[in-house]
Amino acid sequence: MPDIKVTPLGAGQDVGRSCILVSIGGKNIMLDCGMHMGYNDDRRFPDFSYVTQNGRLTEFLDCVIISHFHLDHCGALPYMSEMVGYDGPIYMTHPTKAICPILLEDFRKITVDKKGETNFFTSQMIKDCMKKVVPLNLHQTVQVDEELEIKAYYAGHVLGAAMFQIKVGSESVVYTGDYNMTPDRHLGAAWIDKCRPDILISESTYATTIRDSKRCRERDFLKKVHETVERGGKVLIPVFALGRAQELCILLETFWERMNLKAPIYFSTGLTEKANHYYKLFITWTNQKIRKTFVQRNMFEFKHIKAFDRSYADNPGPMVVFATPGMLHAGQSLQIFKKWAGNEKNMLIMPGYCVQGTVGHKILNGQKKLEMEGRATVITGTANNVIPHLASTLLDVKLQVEYMSFSAHADAKGIMQLIRMAEPRNMLLVHGEAKKMEFLKDKIEQEVFVRCISCYMPANGETTTVVTNPSVPVDISLNLLKREMALGGPLPDAKRPRTMHGTLIMKDNSLRLVSPEQALKELGLSEHQLRFTCRVQLHDPHSDTDTLGRIYTHLKSVLKSYSIQHVPDGTVIVESIVIKVTSSAEEPNLKVILLSWSYQDEELGSFLSTLLKKGLPS
Amino acid sequence: MDISSDESDDWFIESLNTYKDLHVFQLEHPTKVIEWTGDKNICVAGYTGSRSEILELLLPLKLYAGENQGLCAERDFKVQHGGFSEEPIESLIHISGTRCVVTSGSSSSTLQIWDIGGDDSDVIKRTGVINLKSTSVKGCKIAPGLTDEPAVLHGSCISEVQLTEIATGRVLYTVAKESSDSVSGLQFVNACVFLICASDGTLFMGDTRDPSTCHYPLEDSKSGLHWAFGLRSDSSQSEPSGCTVARLSSSGHMLLSDLRNLQSPFCQTQLNVQHDASKNDFLNVSWAPVLDRCLSVSGKKCSSPQPVFSHRGHEMSDEAKYSGSPPVVTTHSWHQSRPKTILSVATDGSLHVWDWVDKITDR
Repeated sequence: MPDIKVTPLGAGQDVGRSCILVSIGGKNIMLDCGMHMGYNDDRRFPDFSYVTQNGRLTEFLDCVIISHFHLDHCGALPYMSEMVGYDGPIYMTHPTKAICPILLEDFRKITVDKKGETNFFTSQMIKDCMKKVVPLNLHQTVQVDEELEIKAYYAGHVLGAAMFQIKVGSESVVYTGDYNMTPDRHLGAAWIDKCRPDILISESTYATTIRDSKRCRERDFLKKVHETVERGGKVLIPVFALGRAQELCILLETFWERMNLKAPIYFSTGLTEKANHYYKLFITWTNQKIRKTFVQRNMFEFKHIKAFDRSYADNPGPMVVFATPGMLHAGQSLQIFKKWAGNEKNMLIMPGYCVQGTVGHKILNGQKKLEMEGRATVITGTANNVIPHLASTLLDVKLQVEYMSFSAHADAKGIMQLIRMAEPRNMLLVHGEAKKMEFLKDKIEQEVFVRCISCYMPANGETTTVVTNPSVPVDISLNLLKREMALGGPLPDAKRPRTMHGTLIMKDNSLRLVSPEQALKELGLSEHQLRFTCRVQLHDPHSDTDTLGRIYTHLKSVLKSYSIQHVPDGTVIVESIVIKVTSSAEEPNLKVILLSWSYQDEELGSFLSTLLKKGLPS
Repeated sequence: MDISSDESDDWFIESLNTYKDLHVFQLEHPTKVIEWTGDKNICVAGYTGSRSEILELLLPLKLYAGENQGLCAERDFKVQHGGFSEEPIESLIHISGTRCVVTSGSSSSTLQIWDIGGDDSDVIKRTGVINLKSTSVKGCKIAPGLTDEPAVLHGSCISEVQLTEIATGRVLYTVAKESSDSVSGLQFVNACVFLICASDGTLFMGDTRDPSTCHYPLEDSKSGLHWAFGLRSDSSQSEPSGCTVARLSSSGHMLLSDLRNLQSPFCQTQLNVQHDASKNDFLNVSWAPVLDRCLSVSGKKCSSPQPVFSHRGHEMSDEAKYSGSPPVVTTHSWHQSRPKTILSVATDGSLHVWDWVDKITDR
């Protein structure tokens, strides 16, 4: 039976990373290659031994697809391609290709430089990995090879995020990655056409969540910033070079303008150049409607937001500063943090996730005292035994800390909207606990707007096999079509299948259905005819002619819908069956009924001989 | 973000000062019911369409983080349990101390009994029914009994009000009153004493130990009005004397009565409301459980007297902007422990959780 196999890689119930294997039509595809951000050891990488126990993945995978630049979707990519080994194509959208390497490098720096890890990819590996990337545009069908094609759809969520359709012949799978169904100012809602994939793969957490609106999250952000600035405090917002920073800047800029606020807002150096780069990526990626809003004036050139100089951190009075890096692990944001942490009037807003080991991570876990490496060298010990070490100072964290999440994700309502848009035959939800999701499964399977669908919920490491029912397109000859349609019986109903007879010719890459005569002609063969004869003995005290007449009347009453003829030359013909009556001179009452039929009428012929053996009604 | 002077944007900016917390959610289907099933859990249920969902939701953890609210980014509801009902749900009540809820549907001849479920499954299962004597378009009104043995007080008209034991279906008490007046609401004051408010505003007080009930019609009853009621009892619950009853008519007439003297309300006032006879379905009045002498009203637009606070979030939402008519709040519920937190739901499926700023006391 044709089927599609899906395996989410990962162990047990962990939900920290995405990496899904799909086998469809003989092709193997890896969807996303995320790092599990909660582990420090090799458990953070997906378990590729499922693909192959030893060595390189190139011959086992036809392609790898990355949905967007978040580390839980692409963090393990350089490890997979350079350390495990994969040389095939890696597909992603243009913005993802531009942003991924920057995030991977930042991540690498934290993990290796700060934490001194060794089993991790290098900067060169990131570069080598990106050389294998094939960027694609939305709604552009890309042929990976002769049989496998993929297409990207707009997913919203973050710049460059896409949902992917993977198709082999008439079987297809759609993978959503992360997406959202409520549009916001910058990124519209996800959209897909009624592509009716065999399987739609998405996250189970979407279905069990009802999300607070983006507007309310933004409100909270503005409120906290405003309150801090009003009381004379300073707000530090550590950000990555690209992404969230721009969005928050636009928000603050508009708010400042509307409320006529005077406190200065600063944008760390390095961010300004990247802003333009981001702007260009952004403008080509968004839709017409959003583009118009931003092109009116370059929304990344700010009136109220100025470039930051490190000396400003010591200025008195309120201010807001966006500084890199995003997890407070080093650099300018950490420097500023050290200066401002001791004052409870100040505020730290973390707009994103922080990796373990960073100052950001510790603060978000509630730590109020942090050990900071100092610059001074202290020498201790006796005259013979001198021990130099860096003095560490204890930093008291008194400022207010706010952890805010701005990511746009779909929720229970959104996932149903997507199902109605795509009309999948089956649904597969990853990262859920199947035992506990009976209601959800029921709900999706009974979705009345879509044909009856099945909902699968594999555990990590478990393979789900979905049987598909692919349709095979075949050309039919006009003659055959006309002939089949001319056959008797009820009028053909356009929506119901009807059995027909023909000969299937599979030649080169085409499939054709033709009449048997046509097929024989093409093959240069002549048709053989098979005819069966049968003799039935009957006692009938009439003349041969009368007996035949009685046979005719009898058959006419039994076989009402068939064509029965009584031919003057002494035969009764039923369809192709010929019936004659003879008798011998010695026994004129012993009639011999001769039946003869062609192979095609075998069934009817047998029926008639059995019927006539029973005798004629008197 | 457009710098437009759109009313909705203005309201949004204003909300920074007027609300402490504001959370806006969109349910797939609108609900008429919000019922607490635990400290952090509520049940909602659909009423549009023949097949309705009942959901038990876990409130956003941020609301419970206390001092650590800043460190908690969790602002979303989680769907914990769900089930399907074959009828639109008009009322839903939770039996305290159990995982049992009872629902009544419109034009239905039974009450449905459900088990919300535990940790091992997400399914809300129907476990039984209670047969009713008659059906009513607005559904039978229901209230949980306050005795140890789970029971439900129910009736769509006064003479049919009875107390039924859930496990056995046994009728424990029947109101011996010949009256075909329809019930607007009913509630137990303590384990034995209960109040019924009829649609015309008449109050009935009964005791399950005593077959007779006392009734207190309005002094000046006008026909065509619909009355809703809200009961406030003090924390002890053993003596009915601490109870106050609020009644609100569809024309905005508000009466406050003490249980010791239901005949004469101790306080009356007139709210200036939109008088629309066809839109009385969602009239709702509730007492704040923590704040002293604080009442909330929803389902009618009220222009005066000036309320302590008015939540316009539902009509100001993005969804409301694009739809033809503004959404109507179907019901609201006070948070059980946070003094100024309210949950409200509307006909467009919106669900808001908000905590307003009292300009006088909160600064």
